[in-house]
Amino acid sequence: MKSSNKKNTPFKAIIMSMFSALIALPVSAQQSADLTNPHADVLSIGGSVTEIVAALDQQHRLKARDTTSSYPPDVINLPDVGYMRSLSPEGVLSVGPSLILAEEGAGPPEALEVIRAADVDFVEVPDALTPEGIMRKIEIIGDALGVPDKADALAAQVETALSTALDDAERPESDKKRVLFVLSTQGGRINASGTGTTADALIRMAGGVNAVTDYEGYKQITDEAVGLAAPDVILMMDRGGDHGAADDELFEIPAIKLTLAAQTRSVVRMDGLLMLGFGPRSAEAVRTLNEALYAPKT
Amino acid sequence: MTEIDAVPRDRLSHARTWHWILAGALALACIASLQVGATDVALSTMLAKLAKGEALSQMERVVLFDIRLPRLVMGVLVGAALAVSGAAMQGLFRNPLADPGIVGVGAGAGLGAILAIVLGALLPVWMIDLTGNQLVPFAAFLGGWGSTLLLYRVSTRHGRTSVATMLLAGIALGALAGALSGILVYIADDRQLRDLTFWGLGSLAGASWAKVLSAGPLILLSISAALMLGRGLNGLALGEATAAHIGIDVQRMKSIAILAVAGATGAAVAVSGGIGFIGIVVPHLLRLASGPDHRTLLLNSALLGAILLILADVIARVVIAPAELPIGIVTAVLGAPVFLWILLKRRGLVEL
Amino acid sequence: MSLTANNIRVSYGKREALRGVSLTALPGEVTAIVGPNGSGKSTLLGAITASLPFHGRVGLNGRDIGTLKPWDLAAQRAVLPQASRLAFPFTVVEVVRLGLQSGTAGDRPEVPMQALARVGLAHYANRTFQELSGGEAQRVMLARVLAQVWAPVEHGEPRWLLLDEPVSSLDIGHQLQVMEILRDFARAGGGVVAVMHDLNLTALSADRVAVLAEGQRLAFGAPGEVLTDDILSRAYGCALRVSAPPPETIPYILPHAASAQKEPACV
Repeated sequence: MKSSNKKNTPFKAIIMSMFSALIALPVSAQQSADLTNPHADVLSIGGSVTEIVAALDQQHRLKARDTTSSYPPDVINLPDVGYMRSLSPEGVLSVGPSLILAEEGAGPPEALEVIRAADVDFVEVPDALTPEGIMRKIEIIGDALGVPDKADALAAQVETALSTALDDAERPESDKKRVLFVLSTQGGRINASGTGTTADALIRMAGGVNAVTDYEGYKQITDEAVGLAAPDVILMMDRGGDHGAADDELFEIPAIKLTLAAQTRSVVRMDGLLMLGFGPRSAEAVRTLNEALYAPKT
Repeated sequence: MTEIDAVPRDRLSHARTWHWILAGALALACIASLQVGATDVALSTMLAKLAKGEALSQMERVVLFDIRLPRLVMGVLVGAALAVSGAAMQGLFRNPLADPGIVGVGAGAGLGAILAIVLGALLPVWMIDLTGNQLVPFAAFLGGWGSTLLLYRVSTRHGRTSVATMLLAGIALGALAGALSGILVYIADDRQLRDLTFWGLGSLAGASWAKVLSAGPLILLSISAALMLGRGLNGLALGEATAAHIGIDVQRMKSIAILAVAGATGAAVAVSGGIGFIGIVVPHLLRLASGPDHRTLLLNSALLGAILLILADVIARVVIAPAELPIGIVTAVLGAPVFLWILLKRRGLVEL
Repeated sequence: MSLTANNIRVSYGKREALRGVSLTALPGEVTAIVGPNGSGKSTLLGAITASLPFHGRVGLNGRDIGTLKPWDLAAQRAVLPQASRLAFPFTVVEVVRLGLQSGTAGDRPEVPMQALARVGLAHYANRTFQELSGGEAQRVMLARVLAQVWAPVEHGEPRWLLLDEPVSSLDIGHQLQVMEILRDFARAGGGVVAVMHDLNLTALSADRVAVLAEGQRLAFGAPGEVLTDDILSRAYGCALRVSAPPPETIPYILPHAASAQKEPACV
């Protein structure tokens, strides 16, 4: 059983954190960050946060994750503290974290209050819809983990990759394809992304045009509005399974049937976290989508 | 003349012994709830520590006093409130399937919660500061309480409350609240939608002393008021007219019952979200066990409701630890089959 | 010490169900209210029991019932409704105890079983009410009502039984038994007011009879004075023939006689 091991870790972690908070303050994280940094036990909440932790080579410090953290694939093996918006305070404390890195919006607030009362450091990472936002996330997480150098390096690397990807994706306005991001087609009702979403941001970054700009957020869209949106391509999250059958079903939906996208059978499926995470893999996401949109179909 | 040879069965004192059995079970359930959790902190080891004069670690103190204890107290209050409200509503509507939802508490509280979740950010800053984290519970309570009072008003004419009107108006109000909620759901972003879903499934995870202190007094007051309705609800089993003939002030009793249910359920739903099933199953089980006499049924319901809810909560927080299930899922998954089994086994009684 | 109804008026919407009916029932007597369907019998009883809003005045043992609290009324009179449905699976004896809780014999736990024995159902004490037949249920309800006012006279005041068709679902043997119970209650000093359907049973058991028709009192008096060809024919809109078998003078009404008339039997 792991319980004997679990028993003293929180206690140890607290003592360690108090102890090292005193000495570590002036000490630069440059000096072998992993030894002096107080936070050996990190709970990461939010898919992109976890990705950044892993990209900073700090995955070994992760004790647990939330449900939305699914990349890199082996984090799945970590204990799951549940959905980030409905955390259980005792569940969070039970994994013995000394530092919690949480994407903006984690909660509920009562749970966070109790967690803070237990002397666990809590760092909130703001949401991002822009390349600058991604840099900011990397910087905050790097600081919290005591690896600012690695964070700088990662940020620089991501920035370069992203700006290259963005430059490559850029194309004349008249040439841009209209992309309809479909979140779900439950029961033939299409839930599509308007503006202000990560999907919208990604479409634009990848050199496309969001076909729906009449509303904000994800909403169910009427059949006729789909026609008016006139998408050239439909973008969806990859949920696995038989794509051929799923495509047939998708293009049979009356609203979609009449669009150019259906006539050319243009649908792009991408991993949800890759697409919407806005983390270190955003350059890859932009490039992948761009290629899917504009590379000749085979 | 027929001789009196039959000895009347005394279900009342039988039901009174159930008070003690259930009180004992509640004590055990409370201990279990403090003992078990996602962390290894346990009541027994802490008591041993205290006995030896050792200090508790901060982790232990936080887990026990800031997490499990308020959660336990809230579980007891909410479970008792839901079960007593269910028993009172069933007595008032003379129908074993009635629940507090009939008087609009659920629909109103749901609408209040949705309003707060979706539109909360639009409130003026001073109001957000005033309510702090408690905006959703506060709005849910106002919604539940308000809709019940509204229903009560529209169905009361010339000092008489028509239970039938209340039932029908409740359906209409529920539809209206559902439609308004639908509009808000449409506006909501997907995070808010998930919040709504979780709210609807109920949880004691947000328990805090602040919530216990704000909801507790109202719940206790409402439960005490409801507990005094036993004789009146018994009389009401014979119908309103006959209840009045045997000396019950029917109108006053109806008012107390409705206000008590609105208060208890409104406050319970506000702090814990929508937790189903307790209100219907608990009184029904007790009627099968010890008869329908409301003088004992109400108190027994309070006890059994509290027991079942804290046991469901223990399950909810250990079964997929460190994450936890919404408690509404646990009560339904465990309660529904048991309920069905009892129904089938005692089919004869159910048709009564 | 009596039950007086003074100029009672009741309207259901625009329809006037009672148009100023007065009635005085005395303790020691069984007072029956008869009349055709829709004549206002049950409405009159409803007013007397304060079950529905009415104009006029009802006095019970010298006090206006409008001024009495439900529990004060319950200590003085018990009411048997026409039909009773029970919401939860109470046992028979528990149902009878419901009456006891609020009546005058609250501190006498043996009363419910005695009341059940009185209606011949003591052996049914532990059955659930819903298992009973219609007639048995009616007798259990009568036992409940009896338990509520177990002593016909208390503190020098009569107690009252107000009953709406107490024998409607009973066989002839139990009809006679129940009427006997009512007569005993009256003989012991209590007052009984019953809405009756069966004219012969009324003639047999009542001391006074009020005949209602179209919301008005057509006649009021001893059965021999009131149950006449003329009055009954007017009340029921039907040529009825009242007879009296020797040697007694209790009138009886033979429906067969109605068809013996030359003119159209009923209008």
